[in-house]
Amino acid sequence: MKILEVSNLVKNYPNFTLDNVTFTLEKGCIMGFIGRNGAGKTTTLKSILNLVHPDSGDIKIFNLPFAGNENAIRERIGYATGSNIFYPRNTLDEIAETTKTFYSKWSDEDYTRYMKLFDLDGKKKLKDLSEGMKVKYSLTLALSHKAELLILDEPTSGLDPISRDEILSIFKYLKANGTTILFSTHITADLEKCADSITYIKKGKIIKSLPIAEFINSFDASSLEEIMLSQERNTSFDIEA
Amino acid sequence: MKRLLKKEFKLTSLKLTYYFILFSLMSFIPGYPILLGAFFLTLGIFQSFENARLQNDTLFSLLLPVTKKDIVVSKYCYVMIVEAIFFLFCALITAFRMTVLKDAEIYKANAMMNANLAYLAYILIILALFNSIFLGGFFKTAYYVGKPFLLYGAASFIVVLIAEVIHHIPGLEMLNSQSKGLGIQAIVLALGIVVYIALTLCSMKASIKTFERIDI
Repeated sequence: MKILEVSNLVKNYPNFTLDNVTFTLEKGCIMGFIGRNGAGKTTTLKSILNLVHPDSGDIKIFNLPFAGNENAIRERIGYATGSNIFYPRNTLDEIAETTKTFYSKWSDEDYTRYMKLFDLDGKKKLKDLSEGMKVKYSLTLALSHKAELLILDEPTSGLDPISRDEILSIFKYLKANGTTILFSTHITADLEKCADSITYIKKGKIIKSLPIAEFINSFDASSLEEIMLSQERNTSFDIEA
Repeated sequence: MKRLLKKEFKLTSLKLTYYFILFSLMSFIPGYPILLGAFFLTLGIFQSFENARLQNDTLFSLLLPVTKKDIVVSKYCYVMIVEAIFFLFCALITAFRMTVLKDAEIYKANAMMNANLAYLAYILIILALFNSIFLGGFFKTAYYVGKPFLLYGAASFIVVLIAEVIHHIPGLEMLNSQSKGLGIQAIVLALGIVVYIALTLCSMKASIKTFERIDI
């Protein structure tokens, strides 16, 4: 079952164009959305969430067009990013107390369970958490309102290897529980540990969107990093020995 | 909408904004341009908007299952509630000055503005300018607060200047009286109420439209 369908998404900026971006995401899968910085990953994710208005194209989430179903869709999705932290001067419990009033499916039991599972202290202020803990808290909020689709914009950027490994284990746990994850990153090693499929964007265009093994084989490479390097490396910076 | 308004008070608003309501006490000061109290209140509200910006409040709100229109309306409601409390305090102090303190020598010889019905009208005009220039300007980007506040600041100081000068014009002295010309002052106050409602509603409608269009 398709959870997310992005078709011919176009967004023009003066110096950048998101050019006919098309891909689909199946229920219960983890999709890695890869590309260099500035390739269009965040613009695509923001377009999916209607934070950016595409010039053309269609987006369907849970088989519903976003327009006219915004609230119903937002009830069922969670968004987290490594760079945007909300209300850092408030405690985790304070933020949750307010957030829960917006979601009809919010579960206090789930909130308590995930806070325990992720070893989070509700009395702490968000600004006092490590980067990894902040991502875990974002996931806790999303999971407490029973988000079926998580859209995560570079959630592991800036994390140390141990924290990244923990987050990836959490993704696998969530997937096993039926959650679908769209996960943008330029740290390709993370995806090899958890992703089912890869969508690769370069300069605003989708190069390929395939199951991970098929994706790697199609480039005749042994890893995602090798693919990224072969596709993106600027040889003009090479220094001859 | 109610939930968004609660969020404004619980997560976004600074305590500083509430402390700035105490600038309503400036209504007691003789020999001082007391209308600046209204400007100081809006400075306090501005601080909450700056705080909201730093806390990624707009993005947080946009990710919630609410409409963009409700986000705009709740921000306006939050501002109007704070303004209403401030105005209520100013009105109470004005009533006190116009009754219990109406014969106080310190106010009879006041060359600057007295607290009376016209003063309340000027307050409403300043608050209306804040709602139209600052709030309207903020929702053009939902991010930048500096330029709209500067523009509003300039406009509000012009109002303060006019209000302080107008009662020195021969024939208009009654605008500064606490006992005479109350009928004319009441008309000025009614005009102030109309200006406040009209500018705020127009600004809110325009903000709903611009906020729908912008990319975050």
